[in-house]
Amino acid sequence: MKTTAKTTVNAKAALSYSGTVWLLVLQLLVMLPFVQYLPQWLIPVLVFTAIWRIRVVKGYSNRPGLRVKITLIAIGMIGLQFSGLPFPSLDFMVTILLLGFAFKTLETDNPRDGIVVVFLGYFLLAVHFLYSQSILAGLYGALSLVVLTAVLVVIQHPLTFMHNRQSTQHTLRLSASMLLQCLPLMLLIFIVAPRLPPLFMLPLPSSQAKTGISDSMTPGDIANLSQSDGLAFRVTFKGDRPPQNQLYWRGLTLNHFDGRRWQQFADDYELRQLQRHFEQHYRWQPNQLEVRGTAIAYEALYERSGQPWLFTLTPVSEVYGDVLRVGDYRVMARRELQAPTLVKAVSYPDSLRDINLQPMVRQLALQLPPDTDPRTRTLARQLRADSDSEQDFIQRVLARYRTQPFHYTLRPPTLGSTDTIDRFLFDSQRGFCAHYAGSFVFMMRAAGIPARVVTGYQGGEWNAAGHYLSVHQFDAHAWAEVWLADSGWLRIDPTTLVAPDRVERGLEAAMQMEGSFLENQLFTPHNIEWLKQLRQQIDSVQYGWRRFVLGYDQDAQHNFLQNLFGELTVKKAVFTLGGLLLAIGFLWVILLGIKPLRQRHSPEQLIYQRFCKALAKQGITREHGQAPGDFARRAAAALPEQASAILDFNRSYERLCYALDKNEDKTALLGTLKQQLKQLQ
Amino acid sequence: METHAKPTLLFRVKSQLDQWLKHRLPQTREVTLRQRQIFIVPTQLALGMLLLTLLLFILGINFQNSLVYAVCFWLLALLVLNILHTYRNLAGLTLKVIGIEPCFAGENALLTLELSCEADKKKYAVQLGWPEHDLSEVNLAESNHLRVQLAYPTQRRGRWTPPRITVRTHYPLGLAVAWSYLLSDISGLVYPKPQEQTALQPNIPNHSEHSSGHEIPGGSHDFGGIRDYQPGDAPRRIHWAKYAQTGELHSKTFIDYSSPECWLDWDALPFPDAEARLSHLCSQVLTCHAEQQEYGLNIPGTRLEPQWSEAHKNRCLTALALFGTLE
Repeated sequence: MKTTAKTTVNAKAALSYSGTVWLLVLQLLVMLPFVQYLPQWLIPVLVFTAIWRIRVVKGYSNRPGLRVKITLIAIGMIGLQFSGLPFPSLDFMVTILLLGFAFKTLETDNPRDGIVVVFLGYFLLAVHFLYSQSILAGLYGALSLVVLTAVLVVIQHPLTFMHNRQSTQHTLRLSASMLLQCLPLMLLIFIVAPRLPPLFMLPLPSSQAKTGISDSMTPGDIANLSQSDGLAFRVTFKGDRPPQNQLYWRGLTLNHFDGRRWQQFADDYELRQLQRHFEQHYRWQPNQLEVRGTAIAYEALYERSGQPWLFTLTPVSEVYGDVLRVGDYRVMARRELQAPTLVKAVSYPDSLRDINLQPMVRQLALQLPPDTDPRTRTLARQLRADSDSEQDFIQRVLARYRTQPFHYTLRPPTLGSTDTIDRFLFDSQRGFCAHYAGSFVFMMRAAGIPARVVTGYQGGEWNAAGHYLSVHQFDAHAWAEVWLADSGWLRIDPTTLVAPDRVERGLEAAMQMEGSFLENQLFTPHNIEWLKQLRQQIDSVQYGWRRFVLGYDQDAQHNFLQNLFGELTVKKAVFTLGGLLLAIGFLWVILLGIKPLRQRHSPEQLIYQRFCKALAKQGITREHGQAPGDFARRAAAALPEQASAILDFNRSYERLCYALDKNEDKTALLGTLKQQLKQLQ
Repeated sequence: METHAKPTLLFRVKSQLDQWLKHRLPQTREVTLRQRQIFIVPTQLALGMLLLTLLLFILGINFQNSLVYAVCFWLLALLVLNILHTYRNLAGLTLKVIGIEPCFAGENALLTLELSCEADKKKYAVQLGWPEHDLSEVNLAESNHLRVQLAYPTQRRGRWTPPRITVRTHYPLGLAVAWSYLLSDISGLVYPKPQEQTALQPNIPNHSEHSSGHEIPGGSHDFGGIRDYQPGDAPRRIHWAKYAQTGELHSKTFIDYSSPECWLDWDALPFPDAEARLSHLCSQVLTCHAEQQEYGLNIPGTRLEPQWSEAHKNRCLTALALFGTLE
C-alpha cells in the first residue's frame, strides 16, 4: 500500500512542461490549414513565437516583457496593414485572431491561460470550415478536435505519475473515446436542431468570392468561365435522364443591350432592389404557362457561388426550396448561395410560355441601343422583307450562320468598343456562344421580334457511378429566346448551327481541334479513361457528403424529418426525441460501465443478511456497523440453546470473508454456511 | 430590522442544508461513494463552453455552414457526456478513516484516510481534504489502495472532531465537478499548547513536594547526552552547534541521578488562568518525560501517581487535554 502519493492542490500552479508542448502542438495543428488562405508572413511569426516559448520553458530565454509584447503587436499590425486585406473582411478578422492566438503562447503560464488557448482553438477550428468544407477538411477537423480535447485534459490534470508516452497515449485514447461516445448525441442534435436563416450579413472569405455566371454578359465572360473546371451544380433525376441536347440549364435572361454588354435591366440593381423590382413588376404568373409534354423531376445541389442564381430546366411548374420565381420563368435563390443549396423541381420543357406577352415584357424584349451597328440593322430589315413569316425570317437568319464561314472558338479576336455586332457578323466571324446569342437577338429585335439572351449552363457530365449529372463552369453557355404569337417563347441556340458538337457532346469535344479546352490548366486528366473513372468515384462520394451533410439546411431538415415521421406533431416529436435521448443515456451508462444503483452483494453477504433476519425475528437485531463477532456473541448469550449453531455459523462466515486461502474452495464453504443457516431456522 | 433578517434567513437556509446533508450522508467511518452520496454540478468552465457553443451556433447560422454546426453540437454533446465521466471518476471510491494522531494545540492534526476502488475503475485527480486548509490530489491508477494524510490546523485543546472532509474531482475536462462529503465519527485529541511560564518561574515554588531545594527541572547539572528534538523541548536545551552542522534539531538532555518523586500540581501554580496552568503543566510533563524522571500529575478531578512511561505520558496529556470537558 502506498502512502502520501499526493500533491497539494494549487490553483495558480504553473503549466507543466509537457502541458506547454501540448499547447504548441495544438496551435500548430489549428493554424496550419489557414496557411493556404491567409498571408504567408503569418508562418514565420508563428514559428518564431513557438520557438521563443520553448526557450522560455527550457530556461534559455526570459519571458517577454511588456515592451516586447507591444513591439510584437505593433509588428503584427504593420504586417496586417501591408498585406492589403480589406478592412471589414473575414480574412482580416481571422488574421487578427490568428495573431492573437500565436502571441498568446508567449504568456501562457498557468492552466487557466491554457484553457483560453484551447477554447480559441475550438473556435478557429470551426472558422476553418468557412474556408473549406471538403471531406478532407472535415477529417482534419475531427482529428484536431481529438487533440484539442486531450490538451484540455492534460493542462488541467497533468498525470505526472505516468511516463510521458504513457500519459500521451492515455489522454489521446480518453479524448478519442469521449468524442466517439458523443457522436450519437451530436448527430441527433445535428438532425433536429432548428436551422435558422442568417441573423445578419457577414463578410465572406475572399477565397470564395463570386463564381460562375454573373448578371451581365460581355463576349469575353463565358470564354473565361470555360477555362474553369470548377463544379457549378449536380443534378439527380427522378426518372430517366433527358437527352444531352435538351439539358439547357437556364439561369438569367438578359434584356438590355448597351452596344457592348448585355445585362438584365438598364439599371444595375443590387440584389435586394432586384428582388423588390421582380416582386412588384415582374412576378411569376402561373396562368401565363400552358403545361404540355412530359415532366422531368430532379434535385439540383448548387455549389456555393456567392450569387443568387439557380439553374433549372425551363419552365418549372413546381419547385421546393427557399426560392423566388420571376415572370421570365427563372428560379432564383432569395439569398446569395453561401452554402451548398438543394432545390427540387419539376419541369415541362415542352410547355408554352407567355401566351399573351405583356406590354412591359415586349418593350424590354425589343430594346436596342440607338444608332449602333447599321450594317446588322440593314441586313435584318432586308431579310425580314424577303421572308413570308417570322418563322421564315428566323430560319433565314440561322441559315446565314450556317452558310457564312463562321468559326466557333474560345480565342476570338477583340471587337473594339463600338458596333461590336457589325464587326462580329461581317468582319471577324469568329466567336463563342455569347457572340452568336447576342448577334442573333440583335437581329431579331432589329426586325421587330421580341427576343432575349439567356445565360446558364448546357449539358453536363454524367457520373455513372453515382447516377447523377455534374455541371461544371466550363459548361457555361448563352443562347436566345424569341417570342412568337402562337408559340410563346421559343428557345433557339444559334451556336448549334456553327458547332453542333458543343451541344451534342460537350465543350471538350467541340474544342478538340482547337485544343483550347481548359488550356490554362497544367494537368488535365479529362482525357485519361481510368483517371476519369477514379475522379468520378471520388466525385460521387463528395456529392453524397455535399448533399447529405453540407446541404443539410432548413428544407433538407424538413424533408428528412417528414420522410421519416410523416406529418410532425408535437406529441410524436416529444416521444421520439425523449426515446432517443433515453436510448443514448442508456448507451452511455453501459459504455462507461457505471454500476446500477443497488450495491451488489457477494453470496456470503446475502446469506449473512438472511442470518440477521432470522435472528431479528427472535428479537435480536444487529446494530448498524456492529462487528459480526460481537453480534454473534451477543446473540449466543441471548439464545443459549442456539449458541453453538450461531457461533459455528459466525466462524464460517468470518472465515469466508476474512481468512480465505487462495486455493480453498469457496463454493464448498458457502454450502456449509447455508446448511448452518438452515439449522438455525 | 432588515439587516438582521438577512443573516437569519441565510443562517436558517444553511442549517437546513446541513440537516439535510447529515440525513443524506450520516456520520460514518467508511463510505463507498455511490449515486446517493455524489453531487455533481457544472463548473464555471462549462459556462464558458456553453458561450463558445452559442458563438459557434451563431457562426453556423450566419454562414449556413453545416460543419460549424457539427463542431458546435459535438462540443455540446461533450459537455453533457463529461458529466457522466466525472461522476464515474468518483463513483465506487471507498473512503475509510484510519485515525487521527494527537497533536498540541496550534499544530496540525493529521488525519489518515485510506482510499480504495475496484482495480478496473481507476480514479484520477481526486481532491481530498478541506478546501480552505489542505486539499490534496491523488490518483488511484497504479494501485487501487492508497493512504493519505490530511493536515488540519487546531486552535484549542480538547477533543477534536474533524469537520466534514470534501472529496471532489474535476476530471477529465474540468467542465463539471463531482463531490461528496465524508462526515467521520472519529475524533482526535488536541493537547494543550506546551508553554512554560518563564516570566513567572522564579516566583513559583516549583516541585513543591521536593524538599532538597536544589533545582531539578531540566536536571541542569549533569549533561546526559543528545537526542532528537521533540516538541516541547525548551529552546535553551537545543544543541545549536549540532543544528549548525546537520540542520536538524537536537536537544541536550540532563540527568539528575538523585531525582526524587516529582509532582506536577495544579494547586501549586499561582496563575489564575486555567488554560495557562494547563499549558504550563503540559510543558512540564514533556520535560519530565524527556528527562526520564518519574512524575505524577494532580489536577482537579484527576490524580495520576508518579511513574515514567510512554503510556503514562499519554495519560497525563489526555487528562490535560480533556480537563474541564464533559468526558
